[in-house]
Amino acid sequence: MASFEFKLPDIGEGVVEGEIVKWLVKEGDEVGEDQPLVEVMTDKATVTIPSPKKGRVTRLFGSEGQIAKVHHPLLSLEVDGESGKGTATGAASEPPPARAASPGGDDTLRTGARVLATPVTRRIAREHGLDLGKLVGSGPQGRVTKADVQLALQPPSRAPGPGGSAPSRPRPPPAPVGARAEDQRVPLRGLRKRIAEKMVTAKFTAPHFTFVEELDASALVAMRTRINQTLAEANDPFRYSYLPFICRALVLAMREFPTLNANFDEASQELIVRGACHFGIAVATPEGLTVPVVRNVQGRSLRELGEEIVRLGAAARDRKLTLEELTGGTFTITSLGQTGGLFATPIINHPEVAILGVHRIRKRPVVADGQVVIRDMVYLSLSFDHRVIDGAVGADFTYALIRRLERPELLFLDQF
Amino acid sequence: MMGPSTEKIGAPAKSAGPAALGPAELVRLYRFMLLTRILDERMLTLQRQGRIGFYGACTGQEAASLGAAAVLEPGDWVFPALREGTVMLLRGYPLVPYLAQIFGNLGDPMKGRQMPCHQAARSVHQVSWSSCIGTQLPHAVGVAWAAKHKGDRAVAMAFLGDGATSSADFHVAMNFAGVSRAPVVFVCQNNHWSISLHRASQTASVTLAAKAVAYGMDGARVDGNDVEAVYAAAAEAVARARDGEGPTLIEAETYRMGAHSSSDDPSRYRDENEVAQWAARDPIARLSARLLAANAWDPERDRSLRAELAAEVNAAISAVERLGPPETGTLFEDVYGTPPWHLKEEKVELQREAEANRG
Repeated sequence: MASFEFKLPDIGEGVVEGEIVKWLVKEGDEVGEDQPLVEVMTDKATVTIPSPKKGRVTRLFGSEGQIAKVHHPLLSLEVDGESGKGTATGAASEPPPARAASPGGDDTLRTGARVLATPVTRRIAREHGLDLGKLVGSGPQGRVTKADVQLALQPPSRAPGPGGSAPSRPRPPPAPVGARAEDQRVPLRGLRKRIAEKMVTAKFTAPHFTFVEELDASALVAMRTRINQTLAEANDPFRYSYLPFICRALVLAMREFPTLNANFDEASQELIVRGACHFGIAVATPEGLTVPVVRNVQGRSLRELGEEIVRLGAAARDRKLTLEELTGGTFTITSLGQTGGLFATPIINHPEVAILGVHRIRKRPVVADGQVVIRDMVYLSLSFDHRVIDGAVGADFTYALIRRLERPELLFLDQF
Repeated sequence: MMGPSTEKIGAPAKSAGPAALGPAELVRLYRFMLLTRILDERMLTLQRQGRIGFYGACTGQEAASLGAAAVLEPGDWVFPALREGTVMLLRGYPLVPYLAQIFGNLGDPMKGRQMPCHQAARSVHQVSWSSCIGTQLPHAVGVAWAAKHKGDRAVAMAFLGDGATSSADFHVAMNFAGVSRAPVVFVCQNNHWSISLHRASQTASVTLAAKAVAYGMDGARVDGNDVEAVYAAAAEAVARARDGEGPTLIEAETYRMGAHSSSDDPSRYRDENEVAQWAARDPIARLSARLLAANAWDPERDRSLRAELAAEVNAAISAVERLGPPETGTLFEDVYGTPPWHLKEEKVELQREAEANRG
């Protein structure tokens, strides 16, 4: 004699459980093949379940009115001879506890080495020779998302130089931080985790110095106002922000100070001065800081710059940026507009070597030609990688920038 | 034999009178109708035991589906709706692979890729069941139209239910069949229920066959539980189609005596009295009575045929149930001539995982 455990089959399409309406047999009964055993009511139908085998009922799992789960034991039979080598649900039975997995839930965790990723994510990884198995997915059930891949593919940031010449990272062993009932633990995941890693790398790799200077933006404010009025009169819906003008001023200033438009190669310990200006524009999104890159700023008109910045900002908020649009920056601008504060100490977007923070423009009394006058004033905060940018160079670069922004007509002249 | 009951709608028929079946042919049809019924009963039991995943029974409609298909020649095509699976058996398809498809295992020529019962076999010119309502109809017209162009005299027979006459594809197919005069026969099995929606709530059209008129084709309404009537109507329609006289819509009035499928519970929406009324018109009982009355059959032969068919079905189930699942790797075959990288990767990954789970 052998024991045969009959599990409740999926009697509808995707039914997960059913109520035991009526047992038609009891423990100890002899039943024949196809003899009705039980009536079960699911959300689709009430059905009579016939016995798949001939035998003696040894155990009923659950009583009338109780819920039976699909693929869980319904009853046990003692059957003849062969050790219950049935198929489908009628597999030879082990003791029930061994199989008593919680319904559904456990399956999702049993992934082991399986990588969950959509075809497009797989393709991007493949095109860049990236092993998806090495990434920690931020999506549901650990799925590796396109954003995870894009972030992983941003310019390499760790890897101190081969000769060990980079300063070793002073990382104290992490001590556990306690939390009370009223506290909330928020794990770092996905974009947030990548931001954290990048910030740590930048801050611990590049010795920062930050230089702050003020700028009289009155002429720029007036010019922008006139330009936007002209657009309005022409029924052109486009409006200029300050960013296109700042980009143009940076390009011109970088002609005098080309080492500011650069990337630092940690592996070779070389500064790579870039021939083209690809400016990252920091954008705050609900998921966190994202830095899309405006490519070839030096070759674009103000209008093109303005439209590209608007487009990238929207794409960043919609999480629709491509890998191309997220990588390859040579300098970064972080501009917080009305919430920009007085000044800040921006963190360099490593492996770039400098970052410009533009703060809030506000009317302040200033002294001009011996008079106290009201001017549109704004602070600029520039952080530099002090390994490659000296303080004097950084300061001179800042003044080169300010000179052009204070006299915005210079932005339209090539020779200054 | 007794005269079949057919009502003509639309243009008068140009061909000769209805074809009749001889006793031997009727006994053969009876055998397959009975086999269909026995299969349905066994399969529904197996489904409740968890041995197969799904089943859709033909019960009550055996005359309408087999009677119509019995007219066809081997070169003709069948586009089933639901419930016409055993037409394949009637046209020579073996029972074992038929059942293996329902189990979806190693013996399944479709490699477990289709839902149970959604059979298809090129050898008997039958495409898959169409669970999507009406989608098979334009396909049938396309095949028929192609046959007309090729001049190979093949006919396409498309089955549909009462509900499908409300679908867009029905209109598309009927319209194109009418205007192209494609050799297609639409057999509408009006079983009165589109899952849980009654025929009365389906359309304001008095009959379904009347829908043929607007498309410029002939319509015929026939007692779908009378296998001889169905055969006669289909024979006339097929003959006309083959002779280039265009398509026909046949409405076979019948009844779905069971549930829509193994996932359905008709007691929630229909009156058991209605089922009882139709049970009295059971097509198998009617044919049996007619054969007995004509002395073409006797109770002893009936008993032994039923026993023989039950044994045949049970033997086939035993043979099929022993087989394991389809090879994991086959999941990735038969779509691309040269599989792309992502499928190759996925195949390796899946096989690795299957291996690990086995261990």
